[in-house]
Amino acid sequence: MDKLLVSPSPHLHTKTSTKSLMRDVVIALMPAVIVSFLFYGWSSMLLMAVSIASCLLVELFITRFLLKKPSTIADCSALVTGILLALNLPTATPWWVVFIGSVVAIGVAKMTFGGLGQNLFNPALVGRVFLLISFPTYMTNWTRPQGFIGGGLDALTGATPLGKVKELMSMDGATLTSIPEYMDLNYCDMLFYNIGGSAGEISAIALLLGFAYLLIRGVIKPHITLSIIMTVAVFSGIFWLIDPAQFTDPLFNILTGGLLLGAIFMATDYVTSPMSKTGGIVFGIGIGVITMLIRYFGAYPEGVSFAILIMNSVVPLLNKWFHTKKYGRA
Amino acid sequence: MMKTFSIGGIHPNDNKISKDCKIEVLPVPSKVFISVAQHLGAPATPVVKPGDQVKVGQVIAEPAGFISAYVHSSVSGTVKSVGPRQDLAGNNMTHIEIDVDGDEWVEGVDLTDTLVTAIPEDNKAILEKIKMCGVVGLGGATFPAHVKLCPPPGKVAECLILNGAECEPYLTSDNRIMLEKSKEIVVGAAIMKQVLGGCKTVIGIEENKPEAIKAMSAAVAELQKVGKSYEGISVMALKKKYPQGGEKQLIDAVMGRQVKSMGLPIDVGAVVQNVATSLAVYEAVQKNIPLITNVLTVTGNCLPMDKQHNYKFRIGMPLSYIAEYAGGVPEQAAKIISGGPMMGKAIANLDATTVKGSSSLLYLTAEQTVRGEESPCIRCGRCADACPMGLEPFLLQKYARHNMMDELEENAVQDCIECGCCLYSCPANIPLLDVIRIAKGDVIRIIRTRK
Repeated sequence: MDKLLVSPSPHLHTKTSTKSLMRDVVIALMPAVIVSFLFYGWSSMLLMAVSIASCLLVELFITRFLLKKPSTIADCSALVTGILLALNLPTATPWWVVFIGSVVAIGVAKMTFGGLGQNLFNPALVGRVFLLISFPTYMTNWTRPQGFIGGGLDALTGATPLGKVKELMSMDGATLTSIPEYMDLNYCDMLFYNIGGSAGEISAIALLLGFAYLLIRGVIKPHITLSIIMTVAVFSGIFWLIDPAQFTDPLFNILTGGLLLGAIFMATDYVTSPMSKTGGIVFGIGIGVITMLIRYFGAYPEGVSFAILIMNSVVPLLNKWFHTKKYGRA
Repeated sequence: MMKTFSIGGIHPNDNKISKDCKIEVLPVPSKVFISVAQHLGAPATPVVKPGDQVKVGQVIAEPAGFISAYVHSSVSGTVKSVGPRQDLAGNNMTHIEIDVDGDEWVEGVDLTDTLVTAIPEDNKAILEKIKMCGVVGLGGATFPAHVKLCPPPGKVAECLILNGAECEPYLTSDNRIMLEKSKEIVVGAAIMKQVLGGCKTVIGIEENKPEAIKAMSAAVAELQKVGKSYEGISVMALKKKYPQGGEKQLIDAVMGRQVKSMGLPIDVGAVVQNVATSLAVYEAVQKNIPLITNVLTVTGNCLPMDKQHNYKFRIGMPLSYIAEYAGGVPEQAAKIISGGPMMGKAIANLDATTVKGSSSLLYLTAEQTVRGEESPCIRCGRCADACPMGLEPFLLQKYARHNMMDELEENAVQDCIECGCCLYSCPANIPLLDVIRIAKGDVIRIIRTRK
């Protein structure tokens, strides 16, 4: 004891670090990643590899060569963005499109704002929406699963259930009962696999497993996710009860598209979601309502990404309006 | 369901390694240095000069104001010097140096172990005795006990809460006195209860001390057979959560009431005293013993089981003397803390001496205590979830770093109790409390000046 350390209290510190939290998110994403590998095979593995590698490279390049600062890729946040971006893309997306998405996600949405913790919008979603607007053909080129399991179908391009519904319902006089893609859906199967869609949207169960892991490890709290899902259920439930021939049912809306992926992994992103519980619930309601407005009345078949990004922009306001409950100031 | 406080809190490993180590009495050293500032408030004024002969229990410094306390000699011998010396916080403070000679106590002190259960009737005399014996709160703040026991006019004490939570990890001295001095503590509680007008009394103990809960419950049951003074005293087991022993948190846990910002516990009818204070009150009132001893824990994960101790010490003992007696400072110790690991003070050396409120000598290794490198805030909100005052540390630290005093006050930085939950739980190692603590001081000064 030649030299004793002296510092202000507290003298103990939790073992949880930014890195360990990010690692937990990666672990929670594993079921969805594995399912996408199994169903889509090599194409989804390639997609994942390109997305992760380019996200890490872009962050490394910007920190080391443009900012001339120590690299920050060790905090694993770019890794999470890479995985999430891949899970949000169709598996047939060409590698260079994925790379552009990574540049936008990390370079524009994250590093321009000052890096980890400073970005206003969810980086992976900015990347995805940029690609959706810039390369609509690639981004709606849904390959039927042709992986190691899933029926060994030939590579066929087809629309997602949401896309099909949107496409056919836009015709005059159409009703949902005339759409076999909607009528024949078996929700029990959809829990396990959901044909057509982004790499991460196949299996609701895989995503829910990840959700359970995040909750058990205390990485996130359930209020945002539940608020989104319940809002979607209530909103679509009301419309469906009014006219089931025109409006898709609540379970369909929860299980299809990117709703669970978005509600569990994208909307709960620490940086781009509100700090207080009340703020989080309002944030979730906003996402749910905007998603359903786009799905029912918008031009796009799917609206989760847009809804989250729109609500991201409201977060500073929500943080200003809603604060924690203080002791003795009720 | 076991009760606890409603907002925030954390669950660090409690590490009560020394909980089964019986209290041992430390022998008197050859020299003590007794600080005149062992309490919250104005430092006491020395009333002895070099060359004076003093006995154990003799007043050597008198209170210098309403919020101040008597200081007594813990040894008998000759006053060698009265002058500045570094205290635990590293500040220069007047200490009275006494060369020890024998162990001769002042007249009228009852040093036997006989339990005195009959409580004097004159409340004024009791308060005077508590004051004359220099009793201060031993839960951490060392606020003069007699002041807390005299509610201001118009305020009524509805509940006396005895704080046996001992929520700081590692500390076990309260646990030990609750086991070994259970009845004395209950008598002390009954005395304070009587002074406060016979309010209900709750002894709050965290569930991680089941033996203490049992011992205290048994002591209460037994004493309730003795007389009416002991009616209305009960033991309440509390769910383990830090900082349960915080005054405001304990009131919330036990009474379900919250003290208003900048308010006092008595505003909601509560008076909180530590179990060790209760023991000191017993000794003062029933035994005429001034507060010159207390119990401290010597512990740390780097100490073997046989070097874990709970010592009864006398005030003014150099920490180096205690460390040596306990078997030396372990090699792996990178930080020595006086107090708990959450709110205690890291000390630069062992030259400082024990005070009334000393509670531990805790050795932490570098691996346990060195903070990781600060990284950007990821807005996870863990600090806000952990804050037992419901504050938003992430926001406060931002305002603090930009000296935004109005915003700091609006967001209640003055309510911070410096428990350290925010800094403990931050995954990005942001020095939240370090920054907030300074801002809090500034804002409180601004509020005071305005008044």
